[in-house]
Formats: sequence, C-alpha cells, structure tokens
Amino acid sequence: MNTFYPNRKRNRNSYFSVIARYLMLLLFPGIAVFAQDAEDMILISAGTFTMGSDNRAADERPMHKVYLGAYYISKYEVTNAEYYEFWKQQAASEQGIPKHTPENFTHLPQIGDWPERVKQFPDHPVVGVSWHDANAYAIWKGLRLPTEAEWEKAARGYTDRVWPWGNAIEPYANTADSDDGYKNGLAPVGSFPKGKSYYGVMDMAGNVWEWTADWYSDVYYWHSSQAFTKRPKRDPTGPAVGSWRVIRGGSWIDKISRCSTTFRFYLYPNLKTSFVGFRLAKTAEKTSK
Amino acid sequence: MRNWLKIVIILWVCLPFAGIADEKVGDHSKYVQHVEQGYAAIFQGDNQTAISEFETALAIEPDHYEILHYLGMAYAQEQFWNRAAESYQRSLVLVPDNIEVLYSLGVVYFKLDKWTDAVPALERVVELSPQHARGHEMLGKSLVKLRQYAEAVPALTKALTLKPQAAGIYQELGTAYLNLKEYTQAIENFKKALAFGPGRYAEPHYGLGMAYLRLGDREKSRAEMQIYQQLQKEFAEYERLTRLTRAEPDNLEAWTGLATLLMNQKNYPQAIQVFQKCIELAPNNANFHHGLSRAFMALNYPKHAAEAAERAVQLMPDASILYNTLGSAYAMQGKRRNALVAFQKAIELDSEQPYYHLNISKLYQSFGNQKLAQEHYRAYEHLLSEQKAKQK
Repeated sequence: MNTFYPNRKRNRNSYFSVIARYLMLLLFPGIAVFAQDAEDMILISAGTFTMGSDNRAADERPMHKVYLGAYYISKYEVTNAEYYEFWKQQAASEQGIPKHTPENFTHLPQIGDWPERVKQFPDHPVVGVSWHDANAYAIWKGLRLPTEAEWEKAARGYTDRVWPWGNAIEPYANTADSDDGYKNGLAPVGSFPKGKSYYGVMDMAGNVWEWTADWYSDVYYWHSSQAFTKRPKRDPTGPAVGSWRVIRGGSWIDKISRCSTTFRFYLYPNLKTSFVGFRLAKTAEKTSK
Repeated sequence: MRNWLKIVIILWVCLPFAGIADEKVGDHSKYVQHVEQGYAAIFQGDNQTAISEFETALAIEPDHYEILHYLGMAYAQEQFWNRAAESYQRSLVLVPDNIEVLYSLGVVYFKLDKWTDAVPALERVVELSPQHARGHEMLGKSLVKLRQYAEAVPALTKALTLKPQAAGIYQELGTAYLNLKEYTQAIENFKKALAFGPGRYAEPHYGLGMAYLRLGDREKSRAEMQIYQQLQKEFAEYERLTRLTRAEPDNLEAWTGLATLLMNQKNYPQAIQVFQKCIELAPNNANFHHGLSRAFMALNYPKHAAEAAERAVQLMPDASILYNTLGSAYAMQGKRRNALVAFQKAIELDSEQPYYHLNISKLYQSFGNQKLAQEHYRAYEHLLSEQKAKQK
C-alpha cells in the first residue's frame, strides 16, 4: 500500500499536476505544500456572524453575534487518500499496529477496512478516526481543527442559513432521509456542489459529522453570547474542560433536521465511528507569513 | 528432511495461536458492528435496540467506558434507572473522574430518590468542571430535596449565572427561599419562573400562593392558589386523555377531548397534530377540519388554515361559523374578495352573530366602503349589547 492516491475531485487533470507537484516538492518543498494548501482552503474573512438559534434545540440558544478573525477552512472533508499519506508515515515509525489507524468496518462493505478502502474509495471522507487521530493529522499538516464557532460561520455565512445552501429542504447533502443518490454510505467529497455554503465550503451538511476543536457544553452559547459582555465575543474556543468533543454537520446516518448549520452534537473523543470525519482550519495571519 | 519436520512441528504449534488471533480480529469486528448499530439506533430514538446492541458489544469487549455510558443513557431514556446506575458505576470504575458519567449517575440517583448519593457525585462534577451548569442545577435540586435549603441557594444561584433563563432553576430557588422564610426573594424567583417558563406552568403559582400567605396577603395568596388548582386540574385532564389515547389509539372521543383541551391551552402546535389524528379517524367530520383551520390560523399559517376551512365547508355547507373561519383565513392571506364572499355567506346563514358583522365591517373598511363598514359595525354593537343583556 505504498501507492499515492490522488484525490480525483481536486486534481482532475492530474497526472501532469502530480508529476509537477513532485518536481516542485523536490525543488521548492515549502512553496509546493503552500500552493496545495491555498488551493484546498477557503478564506473566511474577519467579522461578526450570527451563532446559534432561538427556535431550535436548547443548547443552540441564544442566537448571538460572535466576532472571528480571518481564518482558512478546508473546502472538503479530509479524504481517505489524504489521511493515507499521514498514516503511511506512522506505519513506518511504529511497531505492530500503527498509531492513528482508522477503524475497520467489515460489516459495512460500502465503507470497508483500512487501508484497503483507500484504493477503493480514495475520495471518500476518512472515517473511523478518533478526535485524537484527527488532531494528530491536523498537526502533521501544520494546521488545526476548526473551533465550533469557525465551523458554524463557514457553514451558515452571513445570512443565517438553516442549511448551508439556504432555508429550504433540498437533496443537496448525503443524509439518511433524502433522495441524494448515496443510500447507506458515504459520498465522495464535493459530490453536492449545490449544497455548498455561502463561502463555497462543501459538505457542511451530511456525509460525515466533523470533529471540532472544542469541548461540548450545553450552555456554551450562553457564554459566548452578548448577555455577559458588551461586545460580541471574539474568537471563542469553547469550555476549558469536558468529556465530549463537539461534532457538527450531521452525516449519512442522520435525518436532514440534524444536519442544520446550528445543530450541535458530541462524542467521546476516542471513539472511531463510520459517520465522523473532519476538516481542517488555520488562522489567516499565519498563512500569509 | 529433518528441517521439514521442524517446520511442520512449528506450524502445528503456532496454528492454534493464529486461530486465536483471527478470532480476536473477528470478535473486534463484531464489537464494532454492534456499537455502530447501537449508535444508529440511538440516533433514531430506538433505545431498546440501542440497549441490546451495546450490551452485545460489551459482552465481546467489556472495558469501554464510553459504551457503558451510552448504554446507561439508553437505559435512562427508557427509565430503567437501576440498570442505568449500574452501567454508570461500571463506567466510573474505568474512568473515576469522567465528568459526564458522574453527572449522569447523579441524575439517576436523583430519579431514584437517592439524594444523599446524588450530592457527592454532583459535587465532584462541579469541582472538576466549575462551569457545569447542569451539575450545579442538579446539585441544588438534590439539596432542596434533602431540605438543605441554605446549601441549595448558592448551587442554584451559580446555575443561574450559567443558565440565566432556566425557569426550573428559578422555581427551585424560590422554593429554597420560601423554606428559609425569605419571602420577598421567594416571590421574585417564582415570578421569574413564570416569566421564563412554559405557558400553564403551575408550580410557581403554588409557591407564590404560599409566599403571599406567609406575608399575610390572603387575597393575592387565594388568587394564586386558584390559578394553581385550575392548572393542576387541566394537567390532570391532559394526563388522563394522553394516557387514554395511548391505550386506545382509536378512541375518537378521547382525541376530541384532547384537541379541545389543547386549543383552550393555546397549545396550537400539539392541537394541530391531534386534529390531524382526529381527521385520520373521522375524515368527514367538519368540526375537526374547522379546529385544524383555527389552530393553523393561530400559528399564522393562513394557507393551511384556508385549505382546512374549505374542506370543512364542503362537508358542512350550512354551518355559518365555517364560512366565518374561511373568510378570516382568506383575509389573512390577502384574498379580500374571497373573504368577502365567505363573510357574506356566514351572515346569510346566521345574521345574529355579532362577530360576523365585525369581520365584514373591517373588510369593507379595507375596501374603502365606509357606508357598509359602519352599517355592519352598528349591527355588531347592537347584537353584542343584546347578547350581553340576555346573559344578564
């Protein structure tokens, strides 16, 4: 399993670009990696946005303004092929089962075992990864997981959309109850271009839940709300301690109501499931340097 | 030849271990499968299946504190409190300071009326996580149950700083102050419980009644107690009808009673569901379509309201009130011509109803027809005064 699996969605014209990238890596490693990152990440400009909702679940209340500095968020969820590059390095340095090996889903052939599924489904989001695996991957890439606030802003934009594409239920996401063409399994990342968010971020609803950096608290939105401060909270990072990490966006096993831009859910960080993956973020100032 | 023999012996010795390894891998796959099916069941609200799947998974690999916690939560959802407590305790053996498991255990002890056991678990929660609002809240509630009111006040006050509009916490805090004989503060908290709580929230009225009584204001106390009794009666009736409809899903009388009660309580979203059930059982009963229309109208869904009223009118074309409702739904939609026809029909069928005249008067006014608007307004006033006189 030493093959490099290019991501089909992102490198459509791609044998040439892969060769070119290797050449660039050899000649100017830093620049080549930067170019790849810039292509895959979307800049979310600094400013306030509306976080939470007053008429949905209790832990989404209150609707309030939050200020975030500029940041980048990856356009797609991290794929099997991308994670494989990271995992391969773990395999080379560890004895026995490599660290950060995704869980096998033998009973779900449409997802399959690791690393065989890399070959079969290179463009599917990586699943079976714990929060710790996702975080380690992010660090390896020189990036980080998005905070809950960053995730929500990237999903709903400035227009308070219920779903990334708008306020009407549409089959623009891989969910359990819509006729989206992907029943009982994952879809390749970016399969629903009409479901992109205001900022152009893909698959923010459905396909896989996404790990965020924050611990879960049911009253976190109260804390980040203006009820306690005169100005909108700036770059909130969630509670200091907790048991569960926040996951967002819903997945292929969820009804679309759980895939809204404000729906919050949580999972023990060491659990590896077939419905949780992740995407990456980085602070914009650091990128520009 | 001797080398071959050695290899065969080595293989023969190793074979059972290879089998064990395979079996372990196979068992882990089964564990993963059951855990995944457990999650899916929980997501779909099927706790019974979740319990079965998690139990099977834990029989294969018993030392997963997270799955023990989820199993406990599924038991708790089904109100199997003792089993939930057992699962949480097993989980805590593996991770003694897990905040959420400790909290869950505290809640279960509270449900089992084991408040003395709940308190240390919840105290540990807030010690580990000082911003844990639910932990402070449950701790305060447990202390109220133990009649340790002075200790309950700081816990509940802290909970309110973290969860400032939680009616239930104000109610508990009011109770604590009431028992500490600090009646003014008790009244303040009961009032906040009413302000932030759901409609028809009975308990704060009882608290207010008691607090006013202790302050010597008998009139206010009596008024609050009357409201409390009325709400309790309504609640008992709601419980009775809900139980009845659950036990006898085809009992139309029970569904009708429940729909009427919900409309009286202005619980329109639930009333819609109940009217829809009534229509399922008796699709040709105009009254249910009419009720559905009124509930939709109250929630500002004029299109749905008009559709339901149209169906009601089709089923009972001689009932004036149905035309009045239909006219109101049309008017809300901005279909003034249709509304006018409907109101005229209502008055044609029954010209003695004052509110039909009021509705049509408003409509004529919107058309700029002052003469007819005034004529119908006068009719409205006249009929209303007549009605009042008759009632006297």
